[in-house]
Amino acid sequence: MLLRCGESLIFRCFRKIIVLVFSGVLMLSATNASAAGGGHDEDGKFNAGDVIIGHILDSYDWHIMDIGSTPVSIPLPVLLMYEGRFYFFLSSRFHHGHIAYKGFGIAREGPKKGRIVKVLDEELTPDPQASFLLDLSITKNVFSVFISGFLICVIFISVGRRYQRGGSQEVPRGLQSFLEPIILFVRDEIALSAIGEKHHQRFLPYLLTLFFFIFFNNLLGLVPFFPGGANVTGNISVTLVLALFTFFTTQLFSTKGYWTHIFNTPGVPVWLKLPLPLMPIIEIVGVFIKPFVLMVRLFANITAGHMIILGFVSLIFVLGSVASVMGFVISPLSLVFLVFMNFIELLVAFLQAYVFTLFSALFFGMAVPEEHHH
Amino acid sequence: MELVSPGLGLIFWMTLAFGIVLLVLRKYAWRPILNTIREREMYISKSLRDAQHIQRELAALEMVKETKLKEAEKLRLELLAQARNEADDIIRLARQKASADVTQMMEDAKRAVEAQRKSVINEIRGQIALLSIDMAEKVLEGELKNKKASADLVNQLLDKVILN
Repeated sequence: MLLRCGESLIFRCFRKIIVLVFSGVLMLSATNASAAGGGHDEDGKFNAGDVIIGHILDSYDWHIMDIGSTPVSIPLPVLLMYEGRFYFFLSSRFHHGHIAYKGFGIAREGPKKGRIVKVLDEELTPDPQASFLLDLSITKNVFSVFISGFLICVIFISVGRRYQRGGSQEVPRGLQSFLEPIILFVRDEIALSAIGEKHHQRFLPYLLTLFFFIFFNNLLGLVPFFPGGANVTGNISVTLVLALFTFFTTQLFSTKGYWTHIFNTPGVPVWLKLPLPLMPIIEIVGVFIKPFVLMVRLFANITAGHMIILGFVSLIFVLGSVASVMGFVISPLSLVFLVFMNFIELLVAFLQAYVFTLFSALFFGMAVPEEHHH
Repeated sequence: MELVSPGLGLIFWMTLAFGIVLLVLRKYAWRPILNTIREREMYISKSLRDAQHIQRELAALEMVKETKLKEAEKLRLELLAQARNEADDIIRLARQKASADVTQMMEDAKRAVEAQRKSVINEIRGQIALLSIDMAEKVLEGELKNKKASADLVNQLLDKVILN
């Protein structure tokens, strides 16, 4: 009964969000279309590069839209630690990066562009003598991770409860019957086939969490408005953390067989190991390359997808700023490509979650090798 | 460069969030889900095994039924044959007894008829004798003088008639 209440509450929330979003879309279409994205040069011309990069990168506020030339965004909390002191305030204090607050500002140029730095003046000149600044702000991506993490928890805990209540002899219903094939897919096609019968159960919770976390965030990234739209899985920090989780799990569970395989690879001629330990060096480098490749693959795939979709959107405005007729002419074509790309991205969302999870499982399988015959 | 340089804050929060999600889901989602699915799979395979077992048992029972049926059929035929024999015997005996009875009855009847015939003959003889005497008396009353000689003559004549 409580669960049902919770579910209906979630649905009601969803409905509210959808209504909000659609009213937002209507407002957006009522305003000057070329103002969308906020990527304008000083002379007011549309700059597609800025728009795309602005959407892909993390930011301190959640930009929703521009009305006229006024950006509408959700301010997010900024949490800084500098020289032993904590600073906590909302990112709206920066006025979208135009002014400094308490000696901090968002850098406009340099290697730290877009990040909060210690500034010298109102011109936001970075302080060259500034000591280490720990920036633990709840940025757009952090917030999005929280939302998706919460969503995943709510969904799977409710499904888990239904399993617990129904027992083994109840037919799956609703969300449960939708998710069960995917769970079984991860278990049978990924964990079982890559790790093997003996050890796969130990890694299943991690692999399932990993798969659904990536999958959900990929999908949320495709939703163009508020609760979605953040480029979470296309952010190098996020994929780095996921890759590190896989890396440390691999090392943590590694058995003697794994290290034997690295330092004394079976089935390889001796001259590749002695006197020059060529194979061990390659294998050790491989240990670190594997998670690195995981990190880059997911990041690059998702970022590229976002870039292409944003590129097609920007195309309309780029041509529209040359001549409005061209904007109108290109928009149907652009729309066709957009729809097509969105379908491709739906596939990619699943595929990349699958690939990341599969490779993680393969690495675990290497860490806990079963008796095999060389 | 910002695109590919990781931010410390995001790494921190991401690690925290993902770690929490992992731990929470492991305890409250994956454990019940995977356990239930495993239980269900075991239940299904057990049910399949049971079904096969039952099928085999049924087949065996079917065989037993067939043999029992055949035996019963044989027994039935035997019993029928035996019953028929017994019935034949009974009928034969009854017939024999009936014919014996009939013979006995016929003989009794014959004897009774014989006895009756004899008594009737005797009676008739007596009657005839009386009748003859009466007739002779009336005939001779007027015509014969010797009454006694006439009666003897008539008796002699009657003896001849009966003996003939």
